Amino acid sequence: MRPTCKTGSRPGAMIAFAAVVAVAAVALLMPGRAAMAQAQNPEANYWVYVANEASDAVSRVRFGPDGLVVEREIEVGIRPADIDGAHGVTVSPDGLYWYVSVAHGTPFGQVWKYTAGSDQLVGKAAVGMFPATMAVTPDGLSLFVVNFNLHGNPVPSSVSAIFATGMQELAKIETCVKPHGSTINRAGTLHYSGCVGSDQIVEISVDDLAVTRRLLMTPGEERLLASSAEPSEGAARCKPTWVAVAPDDRQLYVACNGNQEVLEIDAADLRVSRRFPTGKGPYNLAVSPDGKYVVATLKGQGSVAIIDRFSGEERRVDSSQAVTHGIVISPDSRYAFVSNEAIGSTLGTIDVIDLERAERVASTPLALQSGGIAFWKMEPITKGT
Amino acid sequence: MKIHVTRRLLSLSAAAAALMATAAQPALLRAQGTAAELEAGSRVETVKVTPGAPLRVGMGDTLAVSLDFLDDQGSEVRGFRWGFQFSPPIVGARPDRARGQGAFEIWGMKPGRSSLQIGVLITDDEGNPSPELVEQIDVMIEDWPVAKVEIEEPGFEAYAGTSFELAARAVTTHETIHATARPLWHSETPAVAAVTSTGVVTLLGPGTARLTAGVGGASDEITFEVIENPVAEVRVAPATGSVRTGDVIRFEITALDADGRPVSDAALSYSVQAIPSAATPGATIYDDGAFVAELPGSYRVFASAGAASASAVVEVAARPKPTPVELMGRGGNLASASSDLWVFTGVDGRDYAYLGTMPSGGGERLYVWDVTDPTDVVLSDSVAIDARRVNDVKVSDDATWAVVTREQNSARGNGIVVLDLSDPGHPTVLSELTENLTAGVHNVWINGDVVYAVNDGTNALHILDLSDPANPAHLGIWDVRPGEEDKTLHDVWAQDGLAYLSYWDDGLVILDIGAGIKGGTPTEPQFVSQIKYRVDHGEEYGNTHTAFRYGDYVFVGDEIFGCSACINGPRGYIHVIDVSDIENPVDVAKYEVPEAGAHNVWAEDDILYVAYYQSGLRIVDISGELRGDLYRQGREIGSYHTAGDEEDAYKPNQAFAWGPHPFKGNIFVSDNNSGLWVLHHEPPRALVP
Repeated sequence: MRPTCKTGSRPGAMIAFAAVVAVAAVALLMPGRAAMAQAQNPEANYWVYVANEASDAVSRVRFGPDGLVVEREIEVGIRPADIDGAHGVTVSPDGLYWYVSVAHGTPFGQVWKYTAGSDQLVGKAAVGMFPATMAVTPDGLSLFVVNFNLHGNPVPSSVSAIFATGMQELAKIETCVKPHGSTINRAGTLHYSGCVGSDQIVEISVDDLAVTRRLLMTPGEERLLASSAEPSEGAARCKPTWVAVAPDDRQLYVACNGNQEVLEIDAADLRVSRRFPTGKGPYNLAVSPDGKYVVATLKGQGSVAIIDRFSGEERRVDSSQAVTHGIVISPDSRYAFVSNEAIGSTLGTIDVIDLERAERVASTPLALQSGGIAFWKMEPITKGT
Repeated sequence: MKIHVTRRLLSLSAAAAALMATAAQPALLRAQGTAAELEAGSRVETVKVTPGAPLRVGMGDTLAVSLDFLDDQGSEVRGFRWGFQFSPPIVGARPDRARGQGAFEIWGMKPGRSSLQIGVLITDDEGNPSPELVEQIDVMIEDWPVAKVEIEEPGFEAYAGTSFELAARAVTTHETIHATARPLWHSETPAVAAVTSTGVVTLLGPGTARLTAGVGGASDEITFEVIENPVAEVRVAPATGSVRTGDVIRFEITALDADGRPVSDAALSYSVQAIPSAATPGATIYDDGAFVAELPGSYRVFASAGAASASAVVEVAARPKPTPVELMGRGGNLASASSDLWVFTGVDGRDYAYLGTMPSGGGERLYVWDVTDPTDVVLSDSVAIDARRVNDVKVSDDATWAVVTREQNSARGNGIVVLDLSDPGHPTVLSELTENLTAGVHNVWINGDVVYAVNDGTNALHILDLSDPANPAHLGIWDVRPGEEDKTLHDVWAQDGLAYLSYWDDGLVILDIGAGIKGGTPTEPQFVSQIKYRVDHGEEYGNTHTAFRYGDYVFVGDEIFGCSACINGPRGYIHVIDVSDIENPVDVAKYEVPEAGAHNVWAEDDILYVAYYQSGLRIVDISGELRGDLYRQGREIGSYHTAGDEEDAYKPNQAFAWGPHPFKGNIFVSDNNSGLWVLHHEPPRALVP
């Protein structure tokens, strides 16, 4: 860190850092730094990638015996004079690649493909307006990204299907206004996304690249729509921002961002089976691989809701920063990794939550507007090495 | 090739069973690429591509491609990971699962030449997957077939002895101009008219001329009568001239018949020759008779219309050398990268420079510098507005309020923030407007009590009512192509009833906002004209980024990042657009620093100030008529490398000049890496004997 000063050899003045910014920046610039909370460190290493939208950077973070460490910050985007907007990030099921959606283009966005670990850019695909969240099929061949078109005119947007081997867009499947929350079921047959603007959940056939079913999500009026139906008129109230799939593919969980609840939906007939009230602004969801928990980030109140899938009991964990955003859960179902955007020039953070104890066990600053998050890999620590 | 598992390997029930197993074994890890796969990748030496290189595919067609990955013995390698990309990405591809994992179909998305780059994953030193390029072959995307050839009518009378260029275009079956096919010309009447293959025709004598232009099986024909040439004399005035490089001489060139009457429809041929002829040629004469030189020396200008010809001689001197730029004051910024600036006199009589900030290091603040004494710049205050980028700031005419743009607001509200400048050294937030502006606003312009805002999401010009700055309101939208998404609006500037919109690939768009040309008003703009261009920086770009009107010209900058010519950073230059006929703008000149990229500009008192990113501030003499390449003409009269040091710059030792603003005899410059610079420049003076 360069020293601050009030005067220099040149005439004039200069801006001094606020101490808090300096401390945060020091943490950001020092590779391999360890986070504050190390008391609950695990006996395995877990890696996640986090996209920092306003910094045009993706952080690779490791949580292990030495705490929570930012191993690398990968710059994304080609226009240093503009915010390109690294929004969503996802890892291929084989763990070999990660993908980041670059939201802002001129005007269309892109999806960039990197090798995992070595973090080398290997391909790009042009997609639609403001590409956001993504999902990769289990075989790794196809990638789906919702073209959120968050800030454009409220017209039906699309989900782009990409041939991931060569990063070629195969189709733009028109779905609804402001699609968000791209998810593929474990069987690799169906893609789900919410429609924040149209108050729908849209199901797409992975093979046919076509919409198969739509579920109107307006609270109290949930029902199937004809697959060819136009997006519903009127103000959205559920504002579904995320769809998560249960480990057995039998249930879907939907974050009703506008109605402060998470809905459980039967995947077979798309009927609402349960409702879980939450705090303000449920945003992203994850279901633990062991099937015990549905975990929701509560963007509107800076916390995380851990919902017991069987009892419906909710426990709440406060985030380390405001504007809680993304969540992924480790394959052993022990930890949730949560990204927090923060506000303004305050650095975003990543929190690690012990799900059994419902306790935040580690946290560290990343960069500006930490959002999309994806789990890369987990490696047990071999004793004696 | 059988490299990937088949997608439908698992049935739904099988998948469910597998997941149940997952649930029962919490330690089971996410599947990882194996070391064996990466090792197999390292054995790939070559790729056999079928059909062979180059791959050729026509627009509208598909081509089946197969890849066989071979080791150094020519044996097939299996069980590894691979990928490919097309560069440039003008080729589409989809998997052909019926033919196997190494098979896919390609099709052209745009005519041209691309490269299929095939890579495999190998292991790096840490055991992670790393891509290695193993094959690269050309792909030719051939345009749609030529359907017809269209010859343009010549603009001259066909007088014997004259020569001019004819134009023809090849039109495809999709009514587009063919990307590569150029019609070849042929004369069916060689005794009357000779024509080169590219269409330069020389009329040899009276008679009927019949010329054809054809490509493939398509052709067009033009027939015209060549008549006696009435031109008996060509005059060029003045006969001599003495100018500096970059100065334009408008020769009056007239063709006269034997009775001394003008012949206005004869094709005149121009040329310019250095004196002596062996000297390096460094001057140009345009078809409208404008002469301009890049290099000092003597030049002879010729004009002819058949046998009649005339010439003039021009002596060209060098322009004065650039003069030094003096550093007056400095407002360094260690905390964050800086963006645009505005300099003004506040209601308290003191002078201020307001500077926005970029995401690097912050992006939520507007810094307030007291620059009343330009040699003693003082940081007065700052305003934080919950943003990650404050890109632009403009101050009202009466300096009582200001508008700052907001991007990446934490609630995605964005829009604009209005500041109360009652105490300009300590501005406060007066109001904000986010309605219809949630995408973020990149640039604004204040036109009285109307504000024009560049909307990042709609890529339209949003018109805002600031008649009550405490209660800004959204009035309407002007859009270059309503209903279409593929457009990008970047900047807006307005002067004298005209707004100049920098509309990226849609070029410069000029609107009447009260000039009385098309009936536009500040709140209901009307389209006046538009000019698009493409520049080559390894690839073709439009990227119209900024515009500034001065005199008969609009100085338009393009901004290009990531191009193959962008070796040391951005590229892009200043286009000089002649708008003396506002409804027909013409690109007449350019100012291009070869090693850098242009950003924002300002013109005042016949001087153009360009913040030229990595090459700092450039100062250019734009007096008189402008034509040709201003940089090569030596019109640059000053420059300053705005690189800060470790003690005063967010990123030291590297200029990245963002915007200039001349004010009260000094030049204020914001530099992305180092903040505010106050500079002074005395232009070179002409020597008086």
